[in-house]
Amino acid sequence: MFQTIRRLFLTLLFLSISTSHLFAADADTNDEEPVIDVMGTVADHDYIKVPKLINGGKVYLPRLIFWEDGEGNSQFSAFANSKKAVESGMFEKVDEVLAPVSGTITLDMSITSHLVYFWMSMLLAVWLTISMSSRYKKGVGRDVEPKGAFQNLFEVFFVFIRDEVVRANIEGHKADKYVPYLFTVFMGIAFMNLFGLLPWAATATADLTVTATLAVISFFVIQFSGTKDHWEHVFWFPGVPSAIRLILTPVEILGLFTKPFALAIRLFANMLSGKIMIISILGLIFIFADFFGAAAGYGVSTFSVSLTVILYALKTFVALLQAYIFTLLTAVFIGMAAEEHHHEEHAAEHAA
Amino acid sequence: MGLLAAGIGAGIVAIGAGIGIGMIGKAATESIARQPEASGDIRGAMILTAAFIEGVALFCAVICILLVFFGG
Repeated sequence: MFQTIRRLFLTLLFLSISTSHLFAADADTNDEEPVIDVMGTVADHDYIKVPKLINGGKVYLPRLIFWEDGEGNSQFSAFANSKKAVESGMFEKVDEVLAPVSGTITLDMSITSHLVYFWMSMLLAVWLTISMSSRYKKGVGRDVEPKGAFQNLFEVFFVFIRDEVVRANIEGHKADKYVPYLFTVFMGIAFMNLFGLLPWAATATADLTVTATLAVISFFVIQFSGTKDHWEHVFWFPGVPSAIRLILTPVEILGLFTKPFALAIRLFANMLSGKIMIISILGLIFIFADFFGAAAGYGVSTFSVSLTVILYALKTFVALLQAYIFTLLTAVFIGMAAEEHHHEEHAAEHAA
Repeated sequence: MGLLAAGIGAGIVAIGAGIGIGMIGKAATESIARQPEASGDIRGAMILTAAFIEGVALFCAVICILLVFFGG
């Protein structure tokens, strides 16, 4: 129910507020900055936001660019930040995007805000898991009870992922092989989502490239765990007339790709919609203040701030839920691919 | 026209997803009431199915967003 309300709100706000102001900037008649730039805030940047006291609120990140100059020579340039790149005379800013003065960019390997938070989440996940595993090696948690709230909390999550997600969906002896991967995915996504709730931080998962990367890794894990039966089901579905296979095989092959695609879109859209909603609702304050004066802004802020508090609680829940859903669906798909059919029951199943 | 299409599309998506998730919720609460000891399994299945519906709905939401920005 919450999801639907959320989506409804998102749609309403998206269409009523953000777009009118976004496109106001495009029109030539209106040169002033939009009151609030929703999409600009959620997009990937070449800087990370920090408290205003440090460096005016922005720390610029290095740009690493493979590019071809006008003569077609491949070049690699590294700059401390975008400004330095412009100062070097080789690049210029076109619509806030860095482009070579002559030639084209072949591969932009620049470190961006989302990448920084992706790395931070992964480092946090790796550090947490390694430090916890060293505790278990020493016997804390195995021979004696786990110590401290931290380890207890970790164990709750780990046991939940192992028993309820991995072992419940992947057959017997194969299951434990996938626990490390799926737990890493869960921790990584959960940290990325939760980072987005902190002030100044960016949500790495609200970026399609990040979720697509995760989904591509999942895709390969799913396909490499496929058994002979899995591939037989894809290319030569057993127990159906040959003519039906003409339809089934393309559908099954398409199905291989839509599963990770759905994983990527689901995570991306959920995290992005949450962010857009909070920014839009807080943006209402400034829009009302802009249209009807400061008093209206103060009036709306009581509504906006209280709604944002509720949304934050919901977003914390959604952050963990989406990490869980991504992990669960990956486990389900791996389980489907890794399942070994016993051929006698199989024939009976299809004959029935 | 793109904006209009996105608005109407998003509305229809919300209706569809609402009906779908509502039916899952209805079925899940009914079955939990009938068989409280199976509530754990039912909850898991409920979340999984809701995730699938949500996936479809979000596909459409993405299409609506694309319409807003590139639909002209």
